Amino acid sequence: MTVFIQQIITGLSIGSIYALLAVGYALIYSIFNFSNFAFGVIMMVGTFGAVYAINWAGAPLPIAILAGMLVAAAISLVVEVSTYRPMRRKNAPRLYLMIAGIGINMFIENLAIQTLGSSVKPFPSDWGREILNVGGVSIAFADLLSGGLSLVMLACLWLFIYRTKTGLGIRASSYDVNTTGLMGVNVDMVSLVVFAISGLTAGLSGVFYGMKYTVYPSMGIVSNKAFVAAVIGGLGSLPGAVLGGILLGLLETMVSAYVSSLLRDMIAYLVMIVILVFIPNGIMGKSVKEKL
Amino acid sequence: MYQYLSGILTIIAINVTAVCGLTVLTGFTGLFSMGHAGFMSLGAYASVIAMLYWHFPFIPAMIFGGLAAALVGLIVGYPTMKGKMRGDTFAIAMLGFSETVRLGLSNIYPYINGALGISDIPRYSEAWVVTLIAAFCVYITYRYTRSKHGRIALSIRDEETAAELIGVNITWEKIKSFMISAFFCGMAGCMYACYYTFITPNTFSTTTSNNLLAAVVFGGMGSVTGPTIAAAILAMLPEMLRFVQKWRLVLYGAVMILVMLFRPEGLMGGREFSIKGIARWFRKIFSKLNRRAGEVSK
Repeated sequence: MTVFIQQIITGLSIGSIYALLAVGYALIYSIFNFSNFAFGVIMMVGTFGAVYAINWAGAPLPIAILAGMLVAAAISLVVEVSTYRPMRRKNAPRLYLMIAGIGINMFIENLAIQTLGSSVKPFPSDWGREILNVGGVSIAFADLLSGGLSLVMLACLWLFIYRTKTGLGIRASSYDVNTTGLMGVNVDMVSLVVFAISGLTAGLSGVFYGMKYTVYPSMGIVSNKAFVAAVIGGLGSLPGAVLGGILLGLLETMVSAYVSSLLRDMIAYLVMIVILVFIPNGIMGKSVKEKL
Repeated sequence: MYQYLSGILTIIAINVTAVCGLTVLTGFTGLFSMGHAGFMSLGAYASVIAMLYWHFPFIPAMIFGGLAAALVGLIVGYPTMKGKMRGDTFAIAMLGFSETVRLGLSNIYPYINGALGISDIPRYSEAWVVTLIAAFCVYITYRYTRSKHGRIALSIRDEETAAELIGVNITWEKIKSFMISAFFCGMAGCMYACYYTFITPNTFSTTTSNNLLAAVVFGGMGSVTGPTIAAAILAMLPEMLRFVQKWRLVLYGAVMILVMLFRPEGLMGGREFSIKGIARWFRKIFSKLNRRAGEVSK
């Protein structure tokens, strides 16, 4: 029983990381209707931001987390302003946006490998590795922190999107960007805010991922799991993304604990294909009808 | 020197063959895949098993490898295309597929030695044989894309719903393109194995998939000769300029962004490379120059 509870806790903590990432993915998807394939490197850069904030500036952990989030938000904005926005202006097809995203991914990831080295680094804070014992179940501080802070972040996001005027603009844009623009909402501003938020979530989840595992330039590959989570929950739905992330985290831990840890990575993609075949709109997705 | 040049020629031919497949899938059907290295891997392993254990000669083994990859393509393609996967979902699913292939091959020990891979593969990939095969593949792809099937694929790429409305069986057409691309990649995998004489599950990585995709994007979507030229150049560059080797992927990424920003149609942009086209191009330039010269002399 303790083992099972232990697995649930591990699953929840990984799931909360996935959920955070998936929210960032889904937010952009819901408004611009394309997948931001540069998401992985945004997360990676944020994590390195936090690592160097500790290593070079000797920042304490909370400041480092904040620095990581800000760095990720900044790079996310750079990507949006330099690449995605000019392409959207030209009405580029979604395929081109995705290829550009892959290009950004290749560019920044390999730049990081060449300049920072491809080696795997530990996150320079031992705080996350200390363990709390509760009745035979051991919980790492990193798990507690990532679970807790992810919840706080998600709550803030919910408040922001559903209780503020900018949030109303974001929600309106996710229905119809063009009409929202006609109604006098500054859509460019909305897109900046959205990319900044998605960068913040990517940075936060990257720092937690680094704390839990390790930091290396190709860690952005985790963002594919977030994509899978977003698909499970229904692409474009924020509550769905959270649910999908937590479900995926639980599922992966259960599979690696009780079946085989080798199957862990396969299972995510398998689940995505099964979900797409049987419930193409995901658990909470809105059904999209193609308009002619 | 001869050996060096023939080596480069072989690498170019391998790259061109694989890119031919991806051209049909990405350039013409509009589905882009981040995991075609998985098919190269499967084709390489299947053909190597056929050669080492069942004593197939080179060409039949290569075709066997291609067919094995195409069969897996059918198995993977059916649920993904039936589920009407959108472009991004498909790309990620393919990434998952190539990871699955890699992990799967690393853990099968009978016949293929798990993560250690297979060595001592006979070196069948002579430069001229491989070049001929690649040329044949380019020709077949060219004919295919100019046929009814190619036009249907183009219609799916440009307007999927409209294509469905005029009676195109989208699922089947996509599966067809997918299987063709898998077949060519499988053949390329076999040639690769027979050139380097050893393969491991990690031989064909995400980097390989990215290289293939880059060649198609640079060469131009909707063109066969464009990606072929791009594939040849991309295969040559790291050999000719050793310092590029390290920074190659950084450059590819940057060029990919720039191409998408400023010339999304790529090098050839749906046109084909031909002597006639070049002649026309020169004539256009000359006539422009002449006109300008005429204006100046007036």
